[in-house]
Amino acid sequence: MKKIAIIIAATALALGGCNDFLDEKPADRLLEDEAYGTLNDLWLNGVAGLYREVGGNTNGTGLQGTVRGVYDLNTFSTDEAFVPKRGADWYDGGVWQSMFLHNNAGADCGDAWNYLLRQVHACNASLEHIDAYAAAHPNDNVAPLRAEVTALRAMFRFYAMDLFGRLPLFNSSKPSTDELHLQPRSTVYRAIVDDLTGSLDLLSHARSNYPGEYYGRVTQPVALFLLAKLMLNAEVYADDDWTDGKRPSGKDIMWNVNGETVNSWQACAIYCDEIGNHGYELELSQSACFAVRNEFSVENIFTIPMDRHLLTNEFWNLVRSRHYKHGAALGLEGENGPCATRHALEVFGYGTDEVDPRFHSTYYAGEMYDLDGDPILLDDGTPLVYYPDKVELDLSDSPYIRTAGARMAKYEVDLHALKDGKLSDNDIVLMRYADVLLMHCEALLRQGGNDELASALLNTVRARVGAPGREATLDNVLDERLLELAWEGWRRNDLIRFNRWGAAITDRPALPVDADGHTIVYPIPGETLTVTGDAQNPGF
Amino acid sequence: MRQIVPFLLAASLAVTAAAQSDSGAPAAATSTAVVAADTTRYDPSRVSGDELAGKQVTNPIEAINGRVAGMTVQRSSSSGIAALNAVRLRGTTSLTGGNDPLIIIDGVLGDLKTLQSVNPTDIESFKVLKDASETAQYGSRGASGVIEVTTRRGGAGDRPTITYNGSFGVTTVGRNLKMLDADGYAAEVLARGLALVNKSANTNWQREIERTALLHDHHVAFSGGAGNGGYRVALAYQNHQGVIRNEHLNNFTSTMRMHQIMFGDLLRIDVGLFGNVEKQYTPIYDSQKMFYSAQAFNPTYPTTRNRQDGWDSYAEASQITHPMALLDARVSTKASNLGAHAKLTFNLGSHWKLTAFGSYSFNETETSHYYPTTIWAHGEAYRGSDKHEQLIGNITADYTVKLGEHRLGAQALAEVQRETYSGFHVTTTNFSTNDLGYDAIQAGALTLWDGTASYRQVPTQASFMGRLTYDYADRYSLAATLRADGTSRFGNGHKWGCFPSVSASWNIINEPWMAGVKERLDGLKLRVGYGLAGNQGGINSYITMSALSPAGIVPVGNEAAVSLAALYNTNPDLKWEVKRTFNIGADFSLAGGKVVASIDCYTSRTSDLLYMYNVGVPPFSYTKLLANMGKMNNSGLEVSVGVTPVATRDWGLNINANVTWQTNKLVSLSGYHNGYYLEVPTYVDIAGMNGAGFHGGNNNVTYQAIGHPLGVFYLPHCTGLKEDGNGGYTYELADGGARRVCGQAMPKVLLGTNFSLRYRHCDLSLQINGAFGHKIFNGTALSYMNMNSLPGYNVLAAAPARRIEDQTVSDYWLESGNYVNLDYITIGWNVPLRGKAAGAISRLRLSLTAENLATITGYSGLTPMINSSNVNKTLGLDDKNIYPVTRTFTLSLAIGF
Repeated sequence: MKKIAIIIAATALALGGCNDFLDEKPADRLLEDEAYGTLNDLWLNGVAGLYREVGGNTNGTGLQGTVRGVYDLNTFSTDEAFVPKRGADWYDGGVWQSMFLHNNAGADCGDAWNYLLRQVHACNASLEHIDAYAAAHPNDNVAPLRAEVTALRAMFRFYAMDLFGRLPLFNSSKPSTDELHLQPRSTVYRAIVDDLTGSLDLLSHARSNYPGEYYGRVTQPVALFLLAKLMLNAEVYADDDWTDGKRPSGKDIMWNVNGETVNSWQACAIYCDEIGNHGYELELSQSACFAVRNEFSVENIFTIPMDRHLLTNEFWNLVRSRHYKHGAALGLEGENGPCATRHALEVFGYGTDEVDPRFHSTYYAGEMYDLDGDPILLDDGTPLVYYPDKVELDLSDSPYIRTAGARMAKYEVDLHALKDGKLSDNDIVLMRYADVLLMHCEALLRQGGNDELASALLNTVRARVGAPGREATLDNVLDERLLELAWEGWRRNDLIRFNRWGAAITDRPALPVDADGHTIVYPIPGETLTVTGDAQNPGF
Repeated sequence: MRQIVPFLLAASLAVTAAAQSDSGAPAAATSTAVVAADTTRYDPSRVSGDELAGKQVTNPIEAINGRVAGMTVQRSSSSGIAALNAVRLRGTTSLTGGNDPLIIIDGVLGDLKTLQSVNPTDIESFKVLKDASETAQYGSRGASGVIEVTTRRGGAGDRPTITYNGSFGVTTVGRNLKMLDADGYAAEVLARGLALVNKSANTNWQREIERTALLHDHHVAFSGGAGNGGYRVALAYQNHQGVIRNEHLNNFTSTMRMHQIMFGDLLRIDVGLFGNVEKQYTPIYDSQKMFYSAQAFNPTYPTTRNRQDGWDSYAEASQITHPMALLDARVSTKASNLGAHAKLTFNLGSHWKLTAFGSYSFNETETSHYYPTTIWAHGEAYRGSDKHEQLIGNITADYTVKLGEHRLGAQALAEVQRETYSGFHVTTTNFSTNDLGYDAIQAGALTLWDGTASYRQVPTQASFMGRLTYDYADRYSLAATLRADGTSRFGNGHKWGCFPSVSASWNIINEPWMAGVKERLDGLKLRVGYGLAGNQGGINSYITMSALSPAGIVPVGNEAAVSLAALYNTNPDLKWEVKRTFNIGADFSLAGGKVVASIDCYTSRTSDLLYMYNVGVPPFSYTKLLANMGKMNNSGLEVSVGVTPVATRDWGLNINANVTWQTNKLVSLSGYHNGYYLEVPTYVDIAGMNGAGFHGGNNNVTYQAIGHPLGVFYLPHCTGLKEDGNGGYTYELADGGARRVCGQAMPKVLLGTNFSLRYRHCDLSLQINGAFGHKIFNGTALSYMNMNSLPGYNVLAAAPARRIEDQTVSDYWLESGNYVNLDYITIGWNVPLRGKAAGAISRLRLSLTAENLATITGYSGLTPMINSSNVNKTLGLDDKNIYPVTRTFTLSLAIGF
């Protein structure tokens, strides 16, 4: 009986001891209050970690480099490039056809929303950690860090607002339902501009594309580039109802820049000038921007740092475009997917006497050779030839089912790349100075009155590649943006601004679905709408 | 205070250690409490080890497939050697995990993997507990039912015996898909004006990757006993080949059980030790890749290597690989289990009993793979180890008292458990030779950051239980249990759950007024029970905490640094998922036990259902959130009948049959979490088609739908084939392709039948299982009937005649899944021994078993026995990933000295 008494006593004690017994202290991770204790931890876990997701290595993540994310929605929906269906390959439930035919609801855009808004969320949490740190360490100056995260958040909001129109403007990591209501596009637009202009003075002047302390970070030139884009697209972004056929005029949308009140075109030109003042210039050759070792480019402004040994960001664009045998001949993979449209070939003057000099650095076309200079052979022993003008959206019944279409050549092939070629060393270019020159030119043309400078800007870009000069007109600027910036993820933004989103092209007639303009944005995922009960974007 | 819990653990361990050192001494014995008291009478929830026939299984649970009503044993359809996939008792009650029953081997808690450490020959009995009032004593771990396994032991006073069991078997492929041969393929490709790559061979790839597999098993057991104790030691070795080349398993198991009785009858000590090492080798790293390739690869390609010593690729077929190249992949899994337990039972007078139990189990699974450069750019080697340790200690006090016709019992239990999950893995790539593989991972030039990791979790659990039983005159009995389970996995305020249960039974046959019918009816009992059980299966330790893990590399200056980040949404409000079960049943026995029947009717409701929600970003930072808000219902009717029409000295016939009707309904999933309304779309996909042309888009087939059973087919209706104007046909869809629910993946009715016939020294037994009321989506036919797959992917021989040029998912290929399968048939001969032989040999038996001899089904695919119970990406879907149908013939010898 004594034993029983001991057991009962032990049991009673155990009851009391249980709450300690049932507390588990993690060993393979840190609790939140341990992760931001020093300025260095705050920087590493609170801020630097945010940049980890500018690039990506899974579907739908990263601003560029993976699949079915921001870049694809901005590229394969346009007159520049598409992903043709090749029999059973690349049908993928119609997602690529949906993208090109502007069936936006079928375009698999949810991943892009989740990715971009998650970054906004993470930036909000980061700002809270910075504020908490500042409260505990009043002598440390966290203002530059705060400005940087605010500008980074503005960048993610910029991409999200460009794709989806309306956004919730929540500023906390645990937002109330009220904060989650979708705001009109113009409100979101103003908030993004305000965050960038408010941060500008505190941001470093360093070049973000150079390895070093500010490698891959948002510095002043990056923020200026974003501001130039935001100004140039003012007519689109300030328009709260994009299905009514009317847009405000950029000349009437006013801003205060450096103490002066200017309209959007003037503001764009000012920001472009300021970027120039930071010392950016065109590379001697356009290809230098996309070389394996492009991290000291004088032209690139903002890149996703890539390093096959040290970093995990991937670049799938080359891999998925080239033919299987083409990839194999390089010791890498190919997936035989995306191609240039015939419209793009026309703009490049393909098959004419005046082919743009950039054609062959932008596209693979014709017979392909391996590293020894021998023709690449297909399984049946015939040489691999790409037929650019045989491309169409559905190639299933075409004799050129596997070989139609010009393929992406716009990055130097990194022969030492890992993971089938996806883990390469070329930094992915998101912003570069040639774009600034073309934005500047366009802003001048839209403002009217300085044709000489506009012409000089356009032809600086053309002269660099040895292309003959052209008259500075808006149409020529739009074409030049395709010639210079093909495969760089800006085409959708350009077409909408030029009101050419729904225009008929050789590859695609004018689409009925584009008639009311609702397809210039993508639908907002249902899970987000459920929380607030807000209405979907019009037309979906 | 906090020393107390470790004290309990330490006490149990000390007991274990002490007991082990003493175990040599013999002592008298009676059976342990786990063994069912009456083993002669047919008990529908119990299967004796003697009934396990000659089926050559690596997991003993497979041997009782079909033997117990309400139990589903799902064999894997993607492997021939690692055969077990899932076990369900009374269906699926949770959406996150914890659906597999708790396995208790001689009192030691384990899971299905642990059972691998017991050789079927060592099993004395299985006892299956399904009802909440029966499983109450095991708390949350037994929420999805309990299977108690008792291993054989040496009885007190037994004479020393040695037994040997040996088997030799052959497994052959019973059925393959009939694809076009090389000539047929070439003719169709050319007829369609497509580019033909003809390498002039005629290869049946399915045959090329297959072989006739051999198996041999050996088992030796030593047992004996003396006045105060008994022992049994068994060693076994299993060696099984799979019918896919290079597929191989061997398993070494050892079991030891001893008991002794000390200090008069005061103390009984039971000690057991079991362990095994199982090694599996297979080239299959992705079953669809393997079987899809073997079925659809260009049949004109030769099986030989090319001049570069590699395999010719075929660029048209990007989703599949040269099947011979795939056979070069190496995947190895080495699992070791060790379990030790000790139980001290103090018989303190006629009313009190005290039991202290301690157990420790250790499981390590080492997984390695090497994908050679011929199938994986640059090659990839992986090596990883996952360890799980579990330490349990409990103390039980029992009090019983008898006052006339009244019997009262009380039991109190305190229990603590600590588990450790830890592991690591490394991945290397860029191999310049394929000869070393995972045995020298440093032959890979590169170690990837995202391929290297380690982890550790140490969840704990504590429980207290009180139980009262009352019995009057063997007629009326009542039991009430109150159990509290606490777990470290939930946050403060949610750790503890309280789960009561009650049950009652009325043994009508013992009523005085039944005396008149007792001649014809010799057993009649009514049972009723109601109880709650908590479930926390599938929850990771830190899901309730905001914690930061290494998330990735960022350039910091000119260096690379790892930043930490929260990688998932946390939910501090997670709590126990609760299942309430009501069970009513009756047992009958007629004609002197010649007919025995049991009927059980149950209904259960799971509330606070744990579910991984797709949530909005914002308000959440990630798209998945684990929360408990939903409800799900299960109900069923189980009937088991045992008939013994003949039982004479020379003849014996036994027929046992069970039928189970089961239904399931997902009632709701929406609700408020922290002020945010969470909603789940009415239809959420579970399984969808994969392969060429099926990526993305809506190629989903099985769904989870509110208001329907788990796993319904939600497909467009096909009204027939329509001409596409070019001589081909496409599927014509009704209502513009609108989807509708058109069947369920889980069977509505399960059937298990066992016949055993004995004539003198010969016997025959056969097991027939069946499942009805469900459907299967024949995605394999959908893919291989599509003539547009040419030239990249070969088609079925029947395809050209149909000229279908479409692979749109619809109900066209939704077929009935009903089947009746002859699971095994065994013929045995107990060799009669006379004279000297009888003196030396106590038993000699020869038997021949044929497994999987025939399946009666209307299903047109390879086999209807695909995944129909486990909610995952293969539920109800036959999609180019089905392991060949095999037949096994085994000759066995059992000899006892």
